[in-house]
Amino acid sequence: MPVFHVRMDNRLIHGQILVSWNAAFKIDHIIVTNDKVANDPLQVTLLKAVAPLTSKVSVLTIKDCVEYCNSPEAEKENIFVLAKFPEDGLALLEAGLKIPVLNLGNQAFVRNSQKISNTVFLTESGVKALKKIHEMGIRITCRMMPSDPDTEYWPTIEKTLPQWAK
Amino acid sequence: MVGIVLVSHGSMADGMLDAARMIVGDQEGIMAINLEEMDDVEGLIEKITAAVEQIDTGDGVIVLVDVFGASPFNASARLTMTRGNMEVITGMNLPMLLELAIHRQGANLEELIKIALDAGSSSIKTLSDTLNSK
Repeated sequence: MPVFHVRMDNRLIHGQILVSWNAAFKIDHIIVTNDKVANDPLQVTLLKAVAPLTSKVSVLTIKDCVEYCNSPEAEKENIFVLAKFPEDGLALLEAGLKIPVLNLGNQAFVRNSQKISNTVFLTESGVKALKKIHEMGIRITCRMMPSDPDTEYWPTIEKTLPQWAK
Repeated sequence: MVGIVLVSHGSMADGMLDAARMIVGDQEGIMAINLEEMDDVEGLIEKITAAVEQIDTGDGVIVLVDVFGASPFNASARLTMTRGNMEVITGMNLPMLLELAIHRQGANLEELIKIALDAGSSSIKTLSDTLNSK
């Protein structure tokens, strides 16, 4: 499977990914995917600047990311997809990305978000997106590090933010 | 005088400043920013921007960060690329900071960047090599 991991992390490429995940799996290609980031030349330049630490970094829109991951070119690679928000994770699935698990990484505090843990803050729209992902039969995990357990995380979200998870 | 901002994961930046104080005394125009688990990059950029605005006397600012490619670096880099008269140096260590503190009077931004890079890398050595080279 070309895409071996999809992480939703609003800090995008950062220390945990470059050091811990890169050491645990042989990542050939990190694809950062979020429409706004892909259209911001400054962020694209900077994200690509860390490529020497892995082998290849791309910054793509959701549509281009799914197109690439479903192409023959992707077959040869071990791809780590890094979406920014839960909404991006849902958009990937709706655009046709085939993956059984979506992992929640850091979701740092943003305006109108509520705390689930020290590393996960979700907005109402984020919870609604995760609910749809869950209802599509996709397993949601919450692993900052590769060593974290891959337990189903939706019940925690439902329990912590019931007003939005309904 | 060139300003210095330290940005790290956890409390390393605070600790670095604390350690430097023990060796070279209190320093003006040096600030430490610690990335907490819950911080996002945009919030971190705001904190760094506020620190830079506060300490930049017009001579420029050097930002020392811990790890290349990580959030403290990413946030500092995004500010530097839009603001100018700044440089980001990765792999911060105490010898690097000490040399900067000692040479800040009278040195310009370019000179200090070279001093920091030299001090940072030349301070890494083993005891064995040091003894054998005698």
